[in-house]
Amino acid sequence: MTQRFADTQNNALEGWIHCELGDFLLEIDLTVLPGQVLVLFGPSGSGKTTTLRVVAGLIKPQQGYINLGDHIIFDSSSNTWVPSHLRKIGYLTQDNNLFPHLDVSGNIGYGISQSNKTLKNNLVADYINMFNLLGLEGRYPNKLSGGQQQRVALARALATRPEALLLDEPFSSLDGELKRTLRGELRNILSVNNLPTILVTHDVEEALALGDNVQVLDNGKTIASGVPIDILGQPPKETVARLVGVENIIKMELSGRNVEDGVMVCQLYKDSDRSTNHLSIEVPLSDIEVGESLNIGIRASDIILGKARFPESSARNQILGSVREIELRPPGYRISLDCNGILLYCHITGSSKDEMDIRIGQKLWAIFKASSCFVVSG
Amino acid sequence: MNNKLQHNPYLSIPDLRIWHALGWITTSLYIIFIVLPLLALLVRGLQQESFLSSVISNTAFQAIKVSLVTSGASMLVIVIVCTPFAHLLARNDSGFLKRIDTLVELPIVLPPVVAGVAMLMAFGRNGLLGNALTELGISIPFTIIAVIFAQIFVAAPFYIRSAKLGFQAIPISYQEVSQTLGMSPWKTFWLMTFPLARTPILTGLILAWARALSEFGATIMFAGNLMGKTQTLPLAIMTTMESSLDTALALSVLLFIGATLILIISSFITHRRWQ
Repeated sequence: MTQRFADTQNNALEGWIHCELGDFLLEIDLTVLPGQVLVLFGPSGSGKTTTLRVVAGLIKPQQGYINLGDHIIFDSSSNTWVPSHLRKIGYLTQDNNLFPHLDVSGNIGYGISQSNKTLKNNLVADYINMFNLLGLEGRYPNKLSGGQQQRVALARALATRPEALLLDEPFSSLDGELKRTLRGELRNILSVNNLPTILVTHDVEEALALGDNVQVLDNGKTIASGVPIDILGQPPKETVARLVGVENIIKMELSGRNVEDGVMVCQLYKDSDRSTNHLSIEVPLSDIEVGESLNIGIRASDIILGKARFPESSARNQILGSVREIELRPPGYRISLDCNGILLYCHITGSSKDEMDIRIGQKLWAIFKASSCFVVSG
Repeated sequence: MNNKLQHNPYLSIPDLRIWHALGWITTSLYIIFIVLPLLALLVRGLQQESFLSSVISNTAFQAIKVSLVTSGASMLVIVIVCTPFAHLLARNDSGFLKRIDTLVELPIVLPPVVAGVAMLMAFGRNGLLGNALTELGISIPFTIIAVIFAQIFVAAPFYIRSAKLGFQAIPISYQEVSQTLGMSPWKTFWLMTFPLARTPILTGLILAWARALSEFGATIMFAGNLMGKTQTLPLAIMTTMESSLDTALALSVLLFIGATLILIISSFITHRRWQ
């Protein structure tokens, strides 16, 4: 263990990776500041896990570099390649991969490079406390619940005092409530440890809850990056919008700007002579010329359904439609509203559906703020 | 008993009841077939007054010594050489290694006598390497080295097969996680891979050891039957059978008890606390 790097704090993780695996090409820039969480978001096969494996030292890319603070852990130009076990990078995989022949204490203590037995046991005890595992020290992994297993795996990764942390869909095998609890615990632990962390997920909620930054990957490339709420909440690109599941993406034409109110009006015309329109929506201002076509994204959960207009409300968009379809989409229902030939999808809860007694063919108003709409570029 | 039969739904089907009865008859026949000779060996062997003196006779003592030394050396070589080999077979799926993998078990199906002849053709004075070895002043046939060679040849496949299956059962992701936890590949082997594959490794070793101890055909072909040098227990039994049945019986009982002990020990070893 003497070969390991000296303990240093506040190291940023940054790098550029060019990795060819058969037909697949991964090309990605990374920068993660200490104490920050970078979320890699994308469909399966987009290169998220490959990126983590490269950083962890389990795949050697053809070109690129990775620095952890002042330490160069990979640099193709100088042929530097620090092997996995000397990198001090914690890696939590999707399956917890707890060693079945070791009990909870044994697993947590596995990577602790402390030859003094008492000190080592104290360290293990600290982590058992920190991760709410008291009383389970002597249990073997097959006698632990899924949440306990994932806690032990996280404790084991952090007990080696890594200088960066990689999390590959750490909670994907857990159910909703447990996921939220563990996510909260993880948030606290990350803020205490001040490590640069990369989190792979395809769960929008998780990305929003844990991420400081997000990079959306598709087919080995970064297609969008920024603050999670911007990128995943109102995705600027159509591919990203489809990935994160923006239900309504409507192609429209800009017909006017109202700079004073900070909105612009978009129309969807029914006829080629533009005399009648299907739909008119007000959206926030952006630098698009009048007459240009644009895609407008609206999340189904941002639309309110009403039996009547809200005549005295601030909502800029109020559109009448008839219910075409009612689909169960846990935890609620998805209502397809036919607004002049355009389908608008809206999410409502089960109790709303029952209280409003929504039926197919019923006339309903779709009501949403201008700021719930966003421009999605192609 | 009758009551029990009626409560077992499996036995209430008439056709199956016939199968069940047939099963019991054949099982009994088989057990008698195996146990009777072994019982006869024990009874006849222990009946004779000269049992102890036979066991501690010079022939017997020499044979026991040769058997223990050679089989011990064989096991050492097998563990050192075949463990990394088994690990490679378990982890690498290149076409070449896959072909090697099927060839590994060839010595199990090859008649040991043929193995002995084959080794003579390779290492014998007129063998492929014979001239080269003679020039170096090395002569392998009819030495204790030849006994060890013969044992390794026939016993190693049992170890390799078992160890390979043991390594294969460990997910590669365990090894990766171990390395990201700061453990070098060497430490990973000792702290994770070996403990997890311990049972199949030891089972393979015990099987190989039992096979090496009972080796006869390849040894007599390649190493001869020289008392105190290459005469192992099985060879000594065959030799003494011609002059003194008592000694042969005593040595047989000894080998039988040894084999039984090996079986009992192995069943203890294969117990896993974490399963």
